[in-house]
Amino acid sequence: MIKELQSKLKKSVHQGIECEEKRKHIVLEGVVDSYDEIIRAGYLAARDEYKGVVNRLKVDGLEDKSIRIPTLSDHQFKDDPCDVLVIGGGIIGCAIIRWLSKYNLDILLVDKESDIAMHQSSRNDGMVHPGFAPKPGSNKAVYNVKGNQMFEKMAGDLEVPFKRVGTYMLFEHYYYALIKELFFRRAEHNNMGTIEFLFKDEILKREPFVTDKVKCGIYMPTTAVCPPYEMTVALAENAVLNGARVSLETYVYKMQKDKDKIMKVYTNRGEIIPKVVINCAGLSADFIAELADDRFFTIHPRKGQIAILDKNKADRLDCVLSIIDLKTMKSRTKGGGLVKTVEGNIVVGPSAYEQPYKEDYSTTKEDMDELLEKNLSYIKGLSRSDVITYTAGNRAATYKEDFIIEKSDYVSNLIHIAGIQSPGYASSPAIAEKACEYALEILKEKMKITDNERYDPHRKSIPRLDKFPKDMRSDMIMKNRDYGHIICRCEHISKGEIIDAIHSPIPAVTLDAIKRRTRGGMGRCQGGFCTPLIMEIIKEETDLKMEEISKKGKQSHILYQSTRVKAGRNDD
Amino acid sequence: MMIEYDVCVIGAGPAGLSAALQLKDCSVCMIEREEKPGGILKQCIHDGFGLIKFNAEMTGPEYSQRYIDELMTTDIKVYMKTFVSNINYICEKNIQIELINPEQGMFQIKVKSIIFATGCRERTAKQVFIHGERPAGILTAGSAQYFVNVSGYLPCRKCVILGSGDIGLIMARRLTLEGAEVLGVYEIKDSSSGLQRNIAQCLEDFNIPLHLSETVIKTHGDDRLTGVTVAKVDSEFNVIKGTEKYLECDGLILSVGLIPENELTKEMGIQIDSHTKGPIVDQNMMTSLKGVFACGNQVHVNDLVDYVSKSGEIAAKACMEYIKGNDYEKEDIRIKFDDSEFLYIVPQVINRQNENMNVTFFFRSSRKLRDAYVKIEINDKEIVNKSYIALNPPELQVIDIALGTLSQHDNIKFKINQR
Repeated sequence: MIKELQSKLKKSVHQGIECEEKRKHIVLEGVVDSYDEIIRAGYLAARDEYKGVVNRLKVDGLEDKSIRIPTLSDHQFKDDPCDVLVIGGGIIGCAIIRWLSKYNLDILLVDKESDIAMHQSSRNDGMVHPGFAPKPGSNKAVYNVKGNQMFEKMAGDLEVPFKRVGTYMLFEHYYYALIKELFFRRAEHNNMGTIEFLFKDEILKREPFVTDKVKCGIYMPTTAVCPPYEMTVALAENAVLNGARVSLETYVYKMQKDKDKIMKVYTNRGEIIPKVVINCAGLSADFIAELADDRFFTIHPRKGQIAILDKNKADRLDCVLSIIDLKTMKSRTKGGGLVKTVEGNIVVGPSAYEQPYKEDYSTTKEDMDELLEKNLSYIKGLSRSDVITYTAGNRAATYKEDFIIEKSDYVSNLIHIAGIQSPGYASSPAIAEKACEYALEILKEKMKITDNERYDPHRKSIPRLDKFPKDMRSDMIMKNRDYGHIICRCEHISKGEIIDAIHSPIPAVTLDAIKRRTRGGMGRCQGGFCTPLIMEIIKEETDLKMEEISKKGKQSHILYQSTRVKAGRNDD
Repeated sequence: MMIEYDVCVIGAGPAGLSAALQLKDCSVCMIEREEKPGGILKQCIHDGFGLIKFNAEMTGPEYSQRYIDELMTTDIKVYMKTFVSNINYICEKNIQIELINPEQGMFQIKVKSIIFATGCRERTAKQVFIHGERPAGILTAGSAQYFVNVSGYLPCRKCVILGSGDIGLIMARRLTLEGAEVLGVYEIKDSSSGLQRNIAQCLEDFNIPLHLSETVIKTHGDDRLTGVTVAKVDSEFNVIKGTEKYLECDGLILSVGLIPENELTKEMGIQIDSHTKGPIVDQNMMTSLKGVFACGNQVHVNDLVDYVSKSGEIAAKACMEYIKGNDYEKEDIRIKFDDSEFLYIVPQVINRQNENMNVTFFFRSSRKLRDAYVKIEINDKEIVNKSYIALNPPELQVIDIALGTLSQHDNIKFKINQR
């Protein structure tokens, strides 16, 4: 079989590819001519019955950009023991520690960034997928549908805004009516409940701004929206209040094993001795697997750009629109759609294309132009001038294109939760439940597990003044005057809300961290007016100096030294 | 229990201050979200303010202080740190405004008339579609100005300025004086969008190059900006391949346009002019909603604060007349012009039922012209013909005329002819 694959790869991709069977997976090595060839080879190898593809192919001259590593180095950990070490503070890691915190366990989550939710979890459109897209029987299909069902309760317990808005999958040709049974069958296979086929008239009754090019569509009622960064923060905060620990700017670079067991985990902040390790390191999950000598997959980052429109176009849409034709249905590089968020912004995208750098979040004109041109035309009255900002994220895709949710085959105290990309957000509660189950199975052999009597599934969110009933707002302000001082004029965020975020269970001391928790600076002026004011508040509430306050940690400070005028004044 | 006033002025910047101080024999309140009155002038420590109005050259804070001092002698109620959360126009002379502040919490006031003076905001990097990475160090000129002049910190040490708007030019000089290196001002258009006097005093005097038909196409850097890529563009603003150049810098300062702040007026259903992005106003600065006035940079972005103050005065005078009178008549005639000749004309309409027919028109030509005539015609009959040595979009022009009585179907048209 391996010989066949080898010749196939040499013939249809590049002569320089060597493949080798290792344990249950395939390893590709050699030098090819382009990044596209690396990707093609990876997918070709993934068609075979191997467990995964480790793709070590290289391209001469392709710059090797490394991932962001913290500059901090200290001895916070000195061979600290813990029951479960969770590597990665995205939606998955944070959901896992929240689920684990139901039990009397010493739980530690580490993340290399200055805050949680710095990668995929804050770089997506916040859609809780209905479960239509994944291949029936795949992990994606199973966890997506289950996670979608669990999501509403989780959001309710954690006071994160959640709205079931439904998806309209739109078609530009009437002939899709002929194949509607195919869609119904897919929905049935994936257990996602009833979906409807609708002609244009009916769609227009519900979404009056859809344009004429739409002829018919499928409605899937279970799609929901929920802000992903807020959810990730809420899960982590709830876990912390239930006794879990979170250590940021903590980068795992080495693991010491004894036979099939991880004994010690090395970080820039000292050494940790865990009973169980859960690898949910997102884009770096393959690196963490490698440290444990159990790498059987490669994460290749698939970039998506999204644009965010001004809230003053909120009335144009009240759901998710997914735009699909037969060509894109099968392709991995789908073309996104439009999502109306809970907050009232319409999000356009994401796009999808392969590129070599895991943490390169740069946007490009070509992709953004295409994205806007394609998607804005489905709703009347939307234009490029409605865009207030745009950003990019990278999906942590494996060549098998399915979630990896399993106990390691070769390391007795390691659990892999990897390759989690779309619909990972929707799946997160179901994945967390499963990961928790696996962790308990391993731990049961080593210790007695009891329930955490302190566990409270509820978490109080930061009170949002403009979400309070009007007659209660004055009381709220009288109790704390800072809630009456509006700092972010676009999103109506008060000083009180910003102070709450600074002193929250996972303190927010960077501008981006405050933005993720309060939306301060997220509006149409993009922090033009409030950035200096928020910095003043951070300075008042922490021991940071103005020059030390940053956008997102590390070297991302906003200011340099005092001006000459001010320095002179201070000298006097 | 709702506190009542005759007039509420929203915004205590130069437009709002001048409007409020003109209002006589009526009860007036002002709403300001910041801690002190003065608006953006607090950070404009350069000179050039007040040449027309006071025949003196003042800094921004000096200019606004004249008004603030006078404000202190009046019994105008000023609500500071106060945010307008909603406005309910119930009927003529009955408008309820919902306010939030730390002292009173959430409360309402009832007024007969509103004068909007909420100023403008800056266009951001994303609104001009700059791509690349998203590090710290990319900021608008106004933010940079706040950091330098109010906070007292340098936001960069070596920077590129994108856009030749006036604040960008002024910050080029200011940052240079503070010891930062300004590599150059890049303007995508083939002519500057700032005032000629600022080009001379802020760039030429400091040997800061102005690169026309050149723009920033990409930003670089993970944490802090490490550089930008600039490139030349053709007349359609498409990048000319092969002209890309990488510039190492830690700051990118944007001066790419100002947008009148009109979220509140839009929510009230007031008509907005697509040219100015501000409300459509008549010769009295009254918007499409009776008794609701707007002035200053909220209506259109002015070059000089003196004009901003003047529009506040016009609004205030008309407002006094409005609240005293009964059955206010409004019948607007739209001013016509060709987009190829003018960027905009303010006022956009003339209320022919109003006694005041002395109109101050503000306009910008849509392109650079030499030896031109601006004509105003009513029903094809020329009533004004003014000659200009030069017309330039960045330079706002003013024409005062007495229009006389107009009838319902009169056709008022602005034209530009070149000699």
